[in-house]
Amino acid sequence: MKTVRIWFKKQGAARYISHLDLSRCVSRAFHKAKIPLWYTQGFNPHAFLTFALPLSLGIRGERESMDIKLENDIPREKLIEDLNGALPDGIVVFDVTEPVMKPGQIAFASFEICLEPEDVAAGELAETIRALFSTPEIMVQKRSKSGTRTINLKPYLGRVQVREGNGKVGISAVLPAGSMENINPGLLLNAIETYLSCRFYSKIVRTNLFDAEMQEFR
Amino acid sequence: MMDQKLERLLAKVQKPGRYVGGELNSVVKDPKNVDVRFAFCFPDTYEVGMSHLGMKILYSLFNEHENIWCERVFAPWLDMEQQMRENGIPLYALESGDPVRDFDMIGFTLQYELSFTNVLNMLDLAGIPLKSKDRPGLTPVVTAGGPCACNPEPLADFIDLFFLGEGEEVDCEVIELYRECRKENCTKDEFLRRASQIRGVYVPSLYRVSYREDDHTIQSVEPLHGAPRTVQKRVMMDMDRSYYPDRFIVPYIEIVHDRAVEEIFRGCIRGCRFCQAGFLYRPLREKSVGTIDKQCRALCENTGYDEISLSSLSTSDYSKIEELLSRLLNWTEDEKVSVSLPSLRVDGFSNELMSKIKTVRRSGLTFAPEAGTQRLRDVINKNVTQEELLQTVNTAFGGGWDRVKLYFMLGLPTETMEDIEGIAELGQAVVDAYYANPHKKKGRSVHVTLSASAFVPKPFTPFQWEPQDTIEVMHEKQRHLLSCVRTHKIECNWHDADTSFLEGVFARGDRRLCAALEEAQKRGFKFEGWSDCFSLPKWMEVFRCCGIDPSFYANRKRSFEEVLPWDHLDYGIKKSFLIRECQKAYRACTTPNCREQCSACGAACYQGGICVENR
Repeated sequence: MKTVRIWFKKQGAARYISHLDLSRCVSRAFHKAKIPLWYTQGFNPHAFLTFALPLSLGIRGERESMDIKLENDIPREKLIEDLNGALPDGIVVFDVTEPVMKPGQIAFASFEICLEPEDVAAGELAETIRALFSTPEIMVQKRSKSGTRTINLKPYLGRVQVREGNGKVGISAVLPAGSMENINPGLLLNAIETYLSCRFYSKIVRTNLFDAEMQEFR
Repeated sequence: MMDQKLERLLAKVQKPGRYVGGELNSVVKDPKNVDVRFAFCFPDTYEVGMSHLGMKILYSLFNEHENIWCERVFAPWLDMEQQMRENGIPLYALESGDPVRDFDMIGFTLQYELSFTNVLNMLDLAGIPLKSKDRPGLTPVVTAGGPCACNPEPLADFIDLFFLGEGEEVDCEVIELYRECRKENCTKDEFLRRASQIRGVYVPSLYRVSYREDDHTIQSVEPLHGAPRTVQKRVMMDMDRSYYPDRFIVPYIEIVHDRAVEEIFRGCIRGCRFCQAGFLYRPLREKSVGTIDKQCRALCENTGYDEISLSSLSTSDYSKIEELLSRLLNWTEDEKVSVSLPSLRVDGFSNELMSKIKTVRRSGLTFAPEAGTQRLRDVINKNVTQEELLQTVNTAFGGGWDRVKLYFMLGLPTETMEDIEGIAELGQAVVDAYYANPHKKKGRSVHVTLSASAFVPKPFTPFQWEPQDTIEVMHEKQRHLLSCVRTHKIECNWHDADTSFLEGVFARGDRRLCAALEEAQKRGFKFEGWSDCFSLPKWMEVFRCCGIDPSFYANRKRSFEEVLPWDHLDYGIKKSFLIRECQKAYRACTTPNCREQCSACGAACYQGGICVENR
């Protein structure tokens, strides 16, 4: 039995499937590809399969990972090829590695957000967003299982950059992510929408995951 | 296929995975390389429609043809529909994202009467005129098939042509004719007239219906322009050669029946008198063990599903069920695939069968005695006795099960309050059987669910002339059932009587109901099968507004002489047989099943299946 970390992208139509659906979808792909997963030995055996960090609905993921346990060793290239043959187009496996860190060590995630404003010029929007992000208090509603609370986004904006180009506004952000604290990039967009009351079309990509020392998750 | 306009909407709706396509095994072709684009429309949500076997079969079959591209369309849920209407996005097909109104042919599958408003709403959302006569061109042709096509009259004004019976052959013949007609620049009328000559095609506009002045029943149905006087259904007689897909689309999101489905036979030997499917799909035709085994393997290999459901109207009636299960278990266990058997009969649940399905994950057991007393079970020809039921639950309890669900119907012909009490008594007998079981696990309790639906008389059954219980009577019967249950180990639930009433109206309705459906669509009615949407008072208003008395259709007893709205459609079952069966029902006299003895229903005209096998 060997634990391996599968790296994949979640894009296209696959952005719109929830974490639970993703898990089901991936299990089926393993089954279809006849990759011998290790099954839990409990009352209701199921394949051992854990995702490093769930991705919110609608967000594209460029460096997602899941850990599986294999019954026996399979060459890296074959594993990648077989899995991609069995997965739907929106989920693309690009690497298989031995896990170095534990998923619990993940503390930050980096995002690229692209905004296409509907009624103002990009430069203007970028300017107002920068102004907004430099105010000491940016209060937004954060929903969680235990209810909705209001939080100040400001302390989390240390690694956020705003730029413009091609009629679009780009925001690069490194935000807390993981089991301890989580700031969904959607909250930044909520803040822009409520404070600046403007309409825009947005695309969010999660580009990478990091530990507390900002070392890339491996 | 998603454009930016659509992506904006997706951010605002629940379960966006319903609206994006791109699933494993979905078929994408280059529109430049196909002649006919077919939009297969399921008038319900993605999760319901994607669970439907008929759609999977026809989708794959159509797409096997290089020159046809068949795509899927489902009814968007309320939030998505609102977004689409507000943003001017017409109904689109999942594979290409192209608007449905640009397709050549549109095909609706009619699985239940309560989806009729969704058919109209989907046409409207597609920007296609609802009425056939308002669509003069050859594109798009709007077609429909499925079980409710056996009485399609309430949709006669809207649908250009109906497919009667099994679609595997007739659909492709009509698509081929469509291709020819388009090449020859035919008019739509000419295409429809030519199509009406194909066996299994019903073109409602080619029939003139007249009504009697005195009792408002049908006077006559006259064919026009050489259309056949009666339209015969199509059947596939050789199940081993009949097309079956080797792959299903595997949805991203969880659907209602999220597993591989293998059809093991079509038709049913039983002839339960309330059951429309039991008559519509005659005669019984089985697939061979070898074919089933091969098809199951292919499905699992191409989908990755780890569960196969063996589908039919009554799985334990498959003549070689144990041989089949042994054959499947040969490989399924190693491949970690489980086999499930829905639709088990009370008298078909043996120890052997149980030990085989026990190897898979165990859920509750469900049986359908349908009626509470032996007398009423004889009336409906459900040839099952209380002893058999108790023996079966004993087998199940011995095997470790402790949850049993029993299905019943309220409002069956000749039913009395005594029969209702019988339902509760049967439930109690099952509870008692559990505690009498010597191998009962200590400290485990039993849970029996009595699920009572409202009987709705359907066309092509011996009860097609029967009045449906009124909503008031149905409520009284439900209350009575509840008052007869004396233990918390028995749980009662039932189907809403209001929706059953509407179902009854449309099931035996005629063309005059088209006006009501059109009005209902105007008022924004949809998803009648969902309690979020359905409102009987609103429907009564629609009927009033259209001058229609719905009880004329639901609660009226018809005479055997009356011309029924579906009399010009022929499903191989003779009316004289249905009358005979109805009269036997009144005498609580049963009819043997097709394997025991032929009852000359008429299905032998197809010269195959059980009708010609050695008994």
